[in-house]
Amino acid sequence: MWNKVFTGFGYWDVISWLIFFFIASFFALWLRSIGRRDYKEGTEQDEIYWSGNPVPEDGAEISVPASSSYWGFRKALEPYYKVLVAMHSGHIRDYVGYYVVTAALIAALILVV
Amino acid sequence: MRLEKYLEILPKSLWVMTCNSGSCNGCDIEIVATISPRYDIERFGMKLVGTPRHADVLVVTGPVTKYMKDRLLRIYHQIPDPKVVVVVGNCGASGDVFYKSYNLEGPVDNIIPVDVYVHGCPPRPEAIIEGVAKAVLKLEAKREELLKAGVEK
Repeated sequence: MWNKVFTGFGYWDVISWLIFFFIASFFALWLRSIGRRDYKEGTEQDEIYWSGNPVPEDGAEISVPASSSYWGFRKALEPYYKVLVAMHSGHIRDYVGYYVVTAALIAALILVV
Repeated sequence: MRLEKYLEILPKSLWVMTCNSGSCNGCDIEIVATISPRYDIERFGMKLVGTPRHADVLVVTGPVTKYMKDRLLRIYHQIPDPKVVVVVGNCGASGDVFYKSYNLEGPVDNIIPVDVYVHGCPPRPEAIIEGVAKAVLKLEAKREELLKAGVEK
């Protein structure tokens, strides 16, 4: 049951992974144990630090989503994304069509080359 | 065995949290200069941290505007004991040119207890480092008190 499984792509052994899991857990718990314990529970020292602001119920009220970090990339690649988004129509017949066309192109490529 | 129990100094180097309570940023630039290669406070183990949870020292700049009062208080309360507060710059120490301005709740010692004042507009990085060094002594005294009271282990 616990034999090693050689998939041809890598190595999988349950016992090894369990050992790894326990070693990793030990280090994680050890790191946690050397953290500060001198804070007062139940006070503001226990609360989330939000740059001094009261913790909002909805973080979107005062923070800008990280997706905006990439607006420059999105703007630069807009023509590319427009085509891609348009291709994702949601109709299975379109996707099957892409598949058939791609398969035909690859087949032609293989047969010709 | 915790070796720091047998040491007569602080168990760790000072970690500093900064709070700009309405400063023009002049003092903050000088604070950042202290971690630059010329002054390099990190050779003493001191560093600026991004959360009050890890801090021993709160460095406050600016005269404390009405908007920042609650935030400064919250940050102060979020720092574990023992902690010291260092005010950097004339604005935080006295209000300076903004003294009695309609928009101020400060200076800082109107809001939270202050241990060390570093004057200047802005103070030189050497002065800020000296201020933090004075804070070490205060922090040691506070830690001793907590040890005697049995709060700190």
